[in-house]
Amino acid sequence: MTSTLPVVTTGQATDVPAQPNDARNTAQDTAEAAARAAVQAVPGKAGDGRTDKTGDGRASGRGPGNRWLTVRPVVRFRRSRPDLLLCGVLLVAILLVQGWNIQHYPTLSDDEGTYLAQAWAVQEGDGLAHYTYWYDHPPLGWMQIAFLTWLPSLLSPESMTVAPMRFTMLLVSAAGAVFLYVLARRLWLPRWAAGLAMALFGLSPLSVVLQREIFLDNIAVMWILLAFCLAASPHRDLWHHFAAGIAAAVGVLTKETMLVILPALLVTMWRFSHRDTRKFALTGAITACALIGLFYPLFALLKGELLPGGGHVSLWDGITYQMSRPGSGFILDAGSGSYGVLQSWLYYDRVLPLGGLAGAVLLMVTLRWSVTARALAGPALAVVILTAVAMRPSGYLPAMYVIQALPFLALVLAGGAASITHAVLRRRRGSAESRKLTVVRWTALAALAGTAAVYVAPHWYDGNRTALTADANAPYRAAASWMAKEVPDPSRARVLVDDALWLDLVHAGYEPGLGAIWFYKADLDPAVTRTMPGGWRDLDYVVASPTVRRDARDLPNVRDALAHSDAVAVFGEGEDRIEIRRIVTAAAKSTGGTR
Amino acid sequence: MLLTSVFIAAVSLALFWMAAFTLWWQMHAWRTPETLAATKFAPPDGGREGSFSLLLPARHEQAVLEHTVERLLQSSHTDFEIIVIVGHDDPETAEVAERAAARDPGRVRVVVDTHEAKNKPKALNTALPHCTGDVVGVFDAEDQVHPELLTHVDHAFRSTGADVVQGGVQLINFHSSWYSLRNCLEYFFWFRSRLHLHAQKGFIPLGGNTVFVRTEVLRTAGGWDPDCLAEDCDLGVRLSSAGKKVVVAYDSDMVTREETPGSLMSLLKQRTRWNQGFLQVYRKKDWKQLPTPGQRMLARYTLMTPFLQAFTGLIIPLNVGIALFLDVPVSIAFVTFLPLVTALVTFVFEVVGLHDFGKQYGLRVRLTHYLKLVLGGPFYQVLLAGAAIRAVWREQRGRSDWELTSHVGAHLTRDAQGVQGAQGIRDIREDVPA
Repeated sequence: MTSTLPVVTTGQATDVPAQPNDARNTAQDTAEAAARAAVQAVPGKAGDGRTDKTGDGRASGRGPGNRWLTVRPVVRFRRSRPDLLLCGVLLVAILLVQGWNIQHYPTLSDDEGTYLAQAWAVQEGDGLAHYTYWYDHPPLGWMQIAFLTWLPSLLSPESMTVAPMRFTMLLVSAAGAVFLYVLARRLWLPRWAAGLAMALFGLSPLSVVLQREIFLDNIAVMWILLAFCLAASPHRDLWHHFAAGIAAAVGVLTKETMLVILPALLVTMWRFSHRDTRKFALTGAITACALIGLFYPLFALLKGELLPGGGHVSLWDGITYQMSRPGSGFILDAGSGSYGVLQSWLYYDRVLPLGGLAGAVLLMVTLRWSVTARALAGPALAVVILTAVAMRPSGYLPAMYVIQALPFLALVLAGGAASITHAVLRRRRGSAESRKLTVVRWTALAALAGTAAVYVAPHWYDGNRTALTADANAPYRAAASWMAKEVPDPSRARVLVDDALWLDLVHAGYEPGLGAIWFYKADLDPAVTRTMPGGWRDLDYVVASPTVRRDARDLPNVRDALAHSDAVAVFGEGEDRIEIRRIVTAAAKSTGGTR
Repeated sequence: MLLTSVFIAAVSLALFWMAAFTLWWQMHAWRTPETLAATKFAPPDGGREGSFSLLLPARHEQAVLEHTVERLLQSSHTDFEIIVIVGHDDPETAEVAERAAARDPGRVRVVVDTHEAKNKPKALNTALPHCTGDVVGVFDAEDQVHPELLTHVDHAFRSTGADVVQGGVQLINFHSSWYSLRNCLEYFFWFRSRLHLHAQKGFIPLGGNTVFVRTEVLRTAGGWDPDCLAEDCDLGVRLSSAGKKVVVAYDSDMVTREETPGSLMSLLKQRTRWNQGFLQVYRKKDWKQLPTPGQRMLARYTLMTPFLQAFTGLIIPLNVGIALFLDVPVSIAFVTFLPLVTALVTFVFEVVGLHDFGKQYGLRVRLTHYLKLVLGGPFYQVLLAGAAIRAVWREQRGRSDWELTSHVGAHLTRDAQGVQGAQGIRDIREDVPA
């Protein structure tokens, strides 16, 4: 029968409601309070800035101190039927588009194979990788993949290969898409704009292609989105911000490139925290993030692998390697590697990357007038940072770089659309506007929306039709099947293979690590080269996929193996063909078979 | 080896949860802007109905008593009496008290406590029959009370229907020494934040002063326990166990300002007394009448905290040592680091708390203070552990006399400091809330 004092004041405009311990009251009252707190950030300016009314459920009016108020009731997502409905319908659409044909398109990537193989090693209890873990990335990413694929691989062990396990990525996509919708609503976007952001994020052909793949980036993005959701929590709870720090740290430990987005997260947290509790919230979040992040170096320290030393890998070496990867040139310099990567993104979709960039610029420019722009300052900053990083002339730009930008591009594009819509519909609108003018406004809006749809729809239709129907992986399946059936004694054969096919071979009975060998380990991992003193002569087969042929230039053992082998089976044609090549040695010639 | 690992992991996890809960509660007020706003006094509406009897036990405190009484008399509330309680063996203080009573006979009275062995609860009980007000308030002889406080408390009683109102108490002289810095911060976190959580949960160890109880409630409860070393905590536990409504309010400009103990030894003694008092309250088992298991857990945990705290301070370094130097699996080593993580988070929040403390009270906190705060942490932990062990030892030996702590009036404004500067350090009993 005790409680704290119920009546409170915090200042002129922000009377805070009573009974903070009554959850149901708080839910509504906090919305009020948040709305009123938001008010203070909106100075009375001439023009439409004072009534930036971009969406449903918002009202404007004059408040105490002659300030214009923008009242924004916070969305109670879980209890808002239209929100649930819209988000649910979009989610089903995204899952259908991303899930249909997922195992056949896009082409299996080497990286997917790497992470899934390491996840498999984690499941098998072989440590963090079946080869020596060398701090290339923090291991949390594939530990999560191991967790996600654990149940399916238990039910059907042989399905633990790249193509079938892509289905588990649907869980990640789904979570990410829902988080994005929630985030959009928490950043005060109207319902339709939140839906638009979610659709852009989940249905753009570029997203569909990249989010289908087993990339650490996709998982990291999910965590970062969760962190943003928590940072913009309408409760403005200290522990929500703390949890945002933890989620951000998990994101960074999943894929270290997320580090550059953290300032944008901090901006969001700053904007959506209350002045009175801000310093605790922000320091709490930063501390949580740092402490969780420190567990990675701590892990290296406990293993005695923090600093370089004789005969062991180290975190330091890993970081040095990643930082010194050869640059891929300036992104706008036609002919550079980065330019090629950019073109590969734009091939799938131009709307999201370029439109998103335009949206970010628009929001940054209108920061002073638009409430939407201020609410979206964090995501816009993320886009700006990621663009700036991509523009480094000497930087290395991997193909999956754009993944971490996708949600923010979608958000700012939707935010930009919301801002424009608001401007068209409400700018300089008097209280008694003529019906004619209203019709003009709506016609203009319809024209804009129609133009956008006419431009986007055919591109997306084409892109997604390919994703839903093409089979890019037939050569891989055929090669895997050949290796399983035609090689007489897989358990004793030694094969160079790229990471994407490695697990197929392991399931076919090849010895993981030294029988089925990640091709580059034959040159780069002392633990492997030691077992092949004769170089290529100690091998039996090379499964020469495009990746193997491309990288062989810098790998002497792989190059020799290709040179001293004959193609015994070829699947597919042209650049993308996969050859199975049998090593030709004197001994092999005389016996005519494998060892 | 497996057994060691499991054991270490279990201990670490237990410590982690303990520290995490303590941290959670410590940060209660800053959880959301709404909880923070709710910790303040509501602005009074101008109405007034209750009358106050303010108890002011004073013992060898002739130096500060007069000032305290004068300041109380400046209160804006119109209906209150001050009852100064002096010992029959303390003529100096009695003289000051009588003088004050002679100046304002309508509002100041003197009651003489004739108990052979003296302590604060006995003094308060002596005065209780003489109280004529609707509400009994307790202050200490050296307290600086804000003139608006009574009006606010009156309003709080009326608007909430509370049986008890606990106002804020704050140690101010953080610059005096490294331990006073930490001591001040402890008060800050306790009165600013944690007590509000206790009030909300319905189990609250009250503070020793700036506490107001409806007179009939206090009489029904039989006053204070004369044999308890933490009579304030005990009263709170008994009243909340009986379902009385307690309200806590903290306003930085309306807190009662106090000072830290003048030496490390007196701080140790004071802390020993509280710890022993907490132990006694725990053993009295009044808290077992609390209606819900959650409340009983909170009571059990709160009363045990000093001892758990001591234990934690010893285990954390040991744990880290084990993780770094023994050959335990990496996952176990990670677990052993968890308590350290919570300790570090607590540290960071303390630093921010110090900043907020400076802001709230308009005090200049310098870099050296932050450094002292961080560096002093482990040593303060040792002090707390020492006090905890000492308390258990004394309780085991059945020693429950009041140890004296001294104070020098460092919190008082310059005019008062002149007085105490001339008097020097005296041994006087000081009651500071837990």
